[in-house]
Order: sequence, then C-alpha cells, then structure tokens
Amino acid sequence: MDYTQITPDEQSAMLEAIGAEGIEQLFNAIPQQIRFNDTLDLPPAMSELQLKRELAEMAAHNHGPHDMVCFMGGGAYDHFCPVLIDQLAGRGEFLTAYTPYQAEASQGSLQAFFEFQTQVARLTGLDIANASLYEGATAVAEAVLMALQHCGKQRVLVASTLHPDYRAVLRTYLQDLPGDLVELPADGGRIAAQTVRRELDDEAACVVIQSPNIWGLIEDWDGCFGAAHERDGVCAIAVFNPIACALLRKPGECSADIAAGEGQPLGVPLSLGGPYLGLFAAADQFMRKMPGRLIGRTTDAEGRAAYCLTLQTREQHIRGAKATSNICTNQGLLALRATMFMTVMGKHGLREMAQQCYHKAHYLAEQITALDGYALKFDGPFFDEFCITCPKPATQIIEAAKRRRILAGIAPHGRRMGRIGDENDLLIAVTEQRTKHEMDALVEVLEEFVT
Amino acid sequence: MTSVMKTRPKKTRAGTRSIRPLARGDRPVEPVIFEKSVPGQRAVDLPPLDVPRADLPPELIGAPVELPEVGQHDVMTHYTHLSQRNFSVDGNFYPLGSCTMKHNPRINEWAAALDGFAQLHPLQDDEQIQGALRLLYETRCFLQEIAGLDEVSLQPAAGAHGEYTALKVIRAYFKDIGQPQRHIVLVPDSAHGTNPASCTMCACHAVTVKTADGYTDLDDLRRLINEHGANTIAAFMITNPNTAGLFDAKICEAADIMHDAGALLYLDGANMNAILGKTRPGEFGADVMHFNTHKTFSTPHGCGGPGAGPIAVGDKLAPYLPAPQVMMAEDGSFYFDRDRPKSIGKVRSFSSQFGVLVRCWAYIAACGPDGLRNVAEKAVLSANYLAARLCHVYEMPYFDPQKGRFCAHEFVTVPKGLLGKGVSLNDIAKRMIDYDIHPPTMHWPLRDCLMVEPTDTESKRTLDHFVDVMLQIAQEIERDPKALAEAPTDAPIRRADEVAAARNPVLVWDG
Repeated sequence: MDYTQITPDEQSAMLEAIGAEGIEQLFNAIPQQIRFNDTLDLPPAMSELQLKRELAEMAAHNHGPHDMVCFMGGGAYDHFCPVLIDQLAGRGEFLTAYTPYQAEASQGSLQAFFEFQTQVARLTGLDIANASLYEGATAVAEAVLMALQHCGKQRVLVASTLHPDYRAVLRTYLQDLPGDLVELPADGGRIAAQTVRRELDDEAACVVIQSPNIWGLIEDWDGCFGAAHERDGVCAIAVFNPIACALLRKPGECSADIAAGEGQPLGVPLSLGGPYLGLFAAADQFMRKMPGRLIGRTTDAEGRAAYCLTLQTREQHIRGAKATSNICTNQGLLALRATMFMTVMGKHGLREMAQQCYHKAHYLAEQITALDGYALKFDGPFFDEFCITCPKPATQIIEAAKRRRILAGIAPHGRRMGRIGDENDLLIAVTEQRTKHEMDALVEVLEEFVT
Repeated sequence: MTSVMKTRPKKTRAGTRSIRPLARGDRPVEPVIFEKSVPGQRAVDLPPLDVPRADLPPELIGAPVELPEVGQHDVMTHYTHLSQRNFSVDGNFYPLGSCTMKHNPRINEWAAALDGFAQLHPLQDDEQIQGALRLLYETRCFLQEIAGLDEVSLQPAAGAHGEYTALKVIRAYFKDIGQPQRHIVLVPDSAHGTNPASCTMCACHAVTVKTADGYTDLDDLRRLINEHGANTIAAFMITNPNTAGLFDAKICEAADIMHDAGALLYLDGANMNAILGKTRPGEFGADVMHFNTHKTFSTPHGCGGPGAGPIAVGDKLAPYLPAPQVMMAEDGSFYFDRDRPKSIGKVRSFSSQFGVLVRCWAYIAACGPDGLRNVAEKAVLSANYLAARLCHVYEMPYFDPQKGRFCAHEFVTVPKGLLGKGVSLNDIAKRMIDYDIHPPTMHWPLRDCLMVEPTDTESKRTLDHFVDVMLQIAQEIERDPKALAEAPTDAPIRRADEVAAARNPVLVWDG
C-alpha cells in the first residue's frame, strides 16, 4: 500500500474546490509526448505482511557479526551498543523531524546537537565541533578542503597509513581542484616525524595523519604535528577513532588543529558500511570556515536558554557557489545516537570500554604470536587492532575460520583494502565485546595453519 | 480569595530553591546534560575484564574525557524531555516546501533494524551478504526504472553528495572524450543552494540562468551558451518540477538546446514526488539525475539526516560512476564490481547508505507501480487543494486554476496583502508554531515567500485544518498585526535570538 489517505469521495470534493475536472488536468503542464502512459516495470505492491516475509527472507540470507564472531575492523567496528540508544533514538519526535531551521519548533534536536558538539570537542581535545558530516572519509576530505582554503596553499601531505578508502576519497575530491596530494611513506608501519619534516615545503597546506592507523598502530602525532608546526600556517589534521580518544592522547593534546573521524563506533550499527557519522572538530580560528551545520546557544525573547542554527552565512543555502561546502543534510539521527551513546557510557564507561579493547587486543596478539610462524607485522604500539603475518595466505585462514562461524579479520592484500600489505597479512580487530573464549577459538583456527 | 495552588513561598529556607508550579503551556528550560552530571553515576556497566591486563605505556595515555556521568533513568528523562521539545512529522503537520516531509512507515524501520541487515560488516565477502546485495541490486533496478535511465549508483550519502558525484561523473566523461574545457554549469536563479556549491567543489563554474514567471528563460539559456561558447558548457542543472512548484513544460526544448551545444541535462530530483510514474527524467531528455530517498521514498529525515542521494545516468555516463557497483552475475548471484577503469573512484568509504536503502526498497515495494503513481497524484492534488482554498488571502504568483495553471506538489505564496498590514513573514511563520504546525520553507525561491508542500500522506482533515489555521492567522493580522510579533507564545521557547547567536557564537558548553 502507498500510505496515502485521501478517499475517492474526498478526491472528488477536492478537485471541485480546485475547479479541475479530473486528476489528469492537474498534470496538464507535462506535455503529452513525455507523459509516461505505461506502467512502471516494478513488482506489484506488497502488503505489510508480504513485506515482512520478503525482507526477513533477504535478511536471513546474510551472515555477519550477528551470527558469527567478529574480528573485522578496518574502519568499522563491532562495539557494544546499549539498548537504550535504539529506544531513545527511535522516538518519532527525533526520527521524523528535519533540520532545525525553525528554532522554536526544534529545541530538542538543537539542544541535543549542542551537547553533541560539546562532547566531540571534549573527546578530541579541540575548541569546537560541528553537528556532524556524512561519514569518516568525507569528513577528512572536508578537513583538507578547509585547510586548503585557510592557508591558500596547495600541497596536501597524507600519511600512506591512512585508510585506503579515505585516501581514495581524497583523490576524488582533490582531482579537479588546485591541491596536490603527496603520500608520506611509512617506516615500520608508521610515519616518522622526520619524514614529515623532509616533505614539508613552502607550498605545504596540511599534514593528515590517522591514529590508530590502518594497521592499528598508534602514530606519533606529537612528533609529526610538532614537525608540521615548525612551518608557519601548516594545518595538522588528526584522523581519529573516538573510542581510542577516551584512553589515548587526543588530537588536541598532540597539537592538532583539525580532527576528523568516523563516529560509527559510538552506537551506530555496522549496517554494511552506512549510514555512518562524520565527526569534525577544530580550533576556534576555523569557526567561520567550518563545513556543515553549527548549533549555537542563545536566549529567547524572555531571556531563557535557547538554541539555534548559527553562522549560516557559511552555508550553501545562503552563499551558493561561495559556501564553505555543499553540505546540506548532516547525519542528525546518528549524531543523536552518538551523543546518547557518549552520555550512557559516560566519562568512566567510555574509558573502560577503550581499556578493555586495548587489553583484549593485546591478549589475543600475545596468544597468536606464541604460535609458530605467526608474528606481528610491525613493532609499534597498537590499540584495538593489529596486523599479523601468517604462515599461509590470509584468505585461506579467513575461509577456515568462516567454517567455525568466525570472521577472523581482514586481508589487507585484498582489493577491498586497496591491496596494501602482503598476501599473508591478517588484520584483526578486538572490541570489548569479544570474550576470552571467542579469542581462544580464533587462536585454535590459526593453530591449524602452523607449519 | 487566592487559591492555595497559586500561593508561592516568598522566602525559602536556606539551601532550598523556590519551585513554581507550572502554568498551562509553561515549559521550563531543560538543563544541558553536563549540568545533570553526578560523579560516580553510571547508566550501564561492562562485564569484568576476562583477560590479563596488558602494559599500557604512560606516555600514550591521554587525559580523561569530561563526558557527563548520569544514571540510566535520568538519561531516559533527559532525552525524552528533549524529544518533547521537537516538532515532527509524527506529531505535527510539517509542510516544509522542497523537503517532502511525508509519513515514515515503521515497517521500514523494522526492516533496517533486522540483525541480518544492521549487523553486517562492510568488508565481508560477497558470498556472505547475498541478501543485502540482492536488496541493493533491486533498489538499483527500481530507481533505474523510475528514472527511465540506464544505470544507478547507490554510493552518494545525500542529495548534495549526489549532485557532487554526478558533476564529477560529467567532468570525467568530458575529459575522456577530449573536451576537458567544458567546465561551465548553468543553474537557474531559483536553484537549490547546493547546486552552485556542488559546482564549486568540482571546480565547475556555476553561471546563473534567469527565470521568468517561474520558468527557465530559454532565451537567456541560449544567450549564455553563446556568450560563454558552446564548447565550454558542461551541463544545465534543472529541478523539474522546479522550486516554484511548477512543471517546466519547455524541459524538452531545454534538453535539445543543451544537446545541440554538446552539453548535458542534469535533473535535480528533489521534486520527484510530483511526477512518479507520470513522466520520467529519461523521457524528457535528462542525461543524469539524483534522487533524495528521504524526500521521495519516505526514509526518515532524522533531525537532518541520514539521507541517501543515488544518481541515475544514461549509458554514455555509466562507465564513470563510482566504484564499487553492485551487479548480478549470470548465475543469479550478486557481487560488488570493483573493476571499473573509467570510474571517478570513491566518493565515500565502503559502498552506500545501506540502512537508508533498505527503507527505500521497502517503500517502493510497498507502493508498487500503481501506488507510486498514486503518490504523485495525491501529492499534487493536496498541494492544489491547499492553494485553491488559500489563494484569495495568500497571493500566489504562479497559481491560476481559472487559466488552467496548476501547481505541482508544492506552491509558493507571497502574501503581500497581509505583509502590507504591518507583519513580517517571520511573524506569520512563528504564529503557525502556536497552532502546532511546522512553518513552511521561507524566503526561497522568492523573497518574502512561503513554500508549502503538504506531501501525499496527509488526510483531507489535516489539510482542512491547515486552511482554517491559515485563514484564522490572516484574521488575526487584520485585527491586531502587532500581536503576531510576540509569536510563538505557546512553544517550548519564545522567539530565539539568532542575531546574538551569530554575533557571539557559543558552540560548546563551557560549564
């Protein structure tokens, strides 16, 4: 059914009020030669009962973290999400509202976004944050565009250890614009401050470094951003994981100017890669150049606290071609989920979650590297994800694990990861959800491949 | 005699606060969540760590993040209170023009939340996610059919992102056929702001085409092509029905003009709700278009997102679409094709707004071909009905049923008569809030206009109520125009001071 509610009788009465002879007359502006007089070649309408069957059937043809044990990461993580989040974010007053253009009719979402901005600023250790962007990769691209605009220079130094999808999106975004992408080579899976120093020149606009990086390694943000700031006007862009920020040194603590990252770990379902949530924070000086919606605190006519969209002169609906970005929608509902998630986990809960990820990942790494033929690919410190070199191609191990209902990890050599790494590399992520029992089961699978 | 209930303590004992009972309609300010933080409170806990603790070098550790500490019940009440301070499609008539705020069926939410959809990792092997790939492939086919075009990409995350992606595809096509100099994109002066902004992000130059009486001025279009040189023009980006709520009957002529110049016609599909199954962009000459699933296909707007902005293109542009593309193999299985050498690359991480597209599939499947056509009919009927009943009080520059001039799914009114009586457009809009109606889109595409879009899912009863409210507001203006400057008087807040907010921006809580 199509969810319309006007009955044939009502339609007749309405047409009469309009002064139209029939419904077709209302479409008289569409010339006859382009009318579509056929029936669209789509399946016939389904009732809700049929829909439920059909959708449940399609869903049942998928296997994943719901019926397998997930050690996959690579930019999307299988974290715990309290039930409360679904209940609250599912409220129709949030689900079915739109961008809060009318402040007086939208105080709920406005205040929630204001709280979200505050949480993201605190999480990243920076001054301000926006009300979200599409997802991680476009958030990084927007950060680079803002940096280019800010300093009027063209060279973008990007860590080769940045997620391959993020680098691909950056290539797309910069392709037609005056911006030259330079990839910083890694040394032992990480970017050395010396490498940043060597590549910097007078045309450098920004340095982009992700930590934990694509190998799960914690980068030397302090050293690299310190090197970047040895030259005036170079922006340091930190690509962050919000869970790691609850435990490790944050972008702001490491002198980053802009932080961009994927907010999916904050209570957003894996959902085959989207919709996700772009997080974006920056130092105060970027306030008027920020992309996306910004919510400000103000007062109403009676002097009470009130919230509204602000600094809209940056935006496309006011400024058109001169806007700081073309972004219109943010990821409102997911920003709401993230802000609820951060509130529910709280100051100590989120840190504990991060600690558990750290300890569990290190436990598993220790168990695996105790097996003959397995070793960590790199020596550097890692958070909740690490790469091991296996005695056999990773794809063989992944296949074997599948038969035990385990998603063993990601083969970085595969096409989906842009063919980084070697055939025998296996990238494993461990969240707080994984139990010792599950990890030991993965180790058993790997043990079968010991030569 | 004073009622006991109204007496208020004049003095309070030391340490207690005076709390006023709430009057009807009185809604107190909700403190920010940080003000409710109590050290040591937790809303959920985690199981104890079941592995030994590893060394964590102190130099890696950061300062704690000052997130609030709140118990579970207070978290519930906080966000419940916030939700009650929102207007929504579920709770209010929400005729926000150009945004298509239609009903969001809950079967769609149920489907997207199924474990077999919501709990899929984006990097899993194709063979494990055949059901999801089938859904994506069918969504692709549905949208291709509705567009009347050859291939759809589901990758863009929102309408504006679809525009961006489509413009990149156009650029890549012209580069590939040896015409990289085509960088000018013609955009009507009534276009969505995203159109020129998307051009800038693709290093295209947006040039404004005049509209006359609500329609594109084709003479101006021809003039601009001559002025800039036909071989510099990449595309004409048009919304049809346009933002004035009119179907531009000269669309085929516009398409011919563009094609004669060797350029392309881009359809901004924001207003597809008005033409579903009645005509198809491919039939009227569009080479490329984007959809807004949150407008046309009932996926929820969620306080501003997530949306999805699939794009549809004709065969000649298909090789340039983003990778990966979802495909069906000869054996009937589904896969992501990453082998697209001419592709513009990726415009986002992973593959799509999958969770949004599940809802989109569910909506199209529920409606079926006849239902979609009925959606367009009811959307257009509802808009014309409101326009007809209000036009004698709220002037409408483009609506004249006597002359056979109808609107599409939305209409604009510039209520000059009322505005001449000493109220501002803002006063009228804010007064609507007192009647529990979300104000329409304002000041766009015309100055001092309201753009009203009732959508296809409202009942006649709601439409009649809206008419009554609008006529009553008009009477209020006749009686006492100054009173409207106070509106809203019965909303969670009185009018917000947006000027002060921009002058002295407070973007984070500093308590």
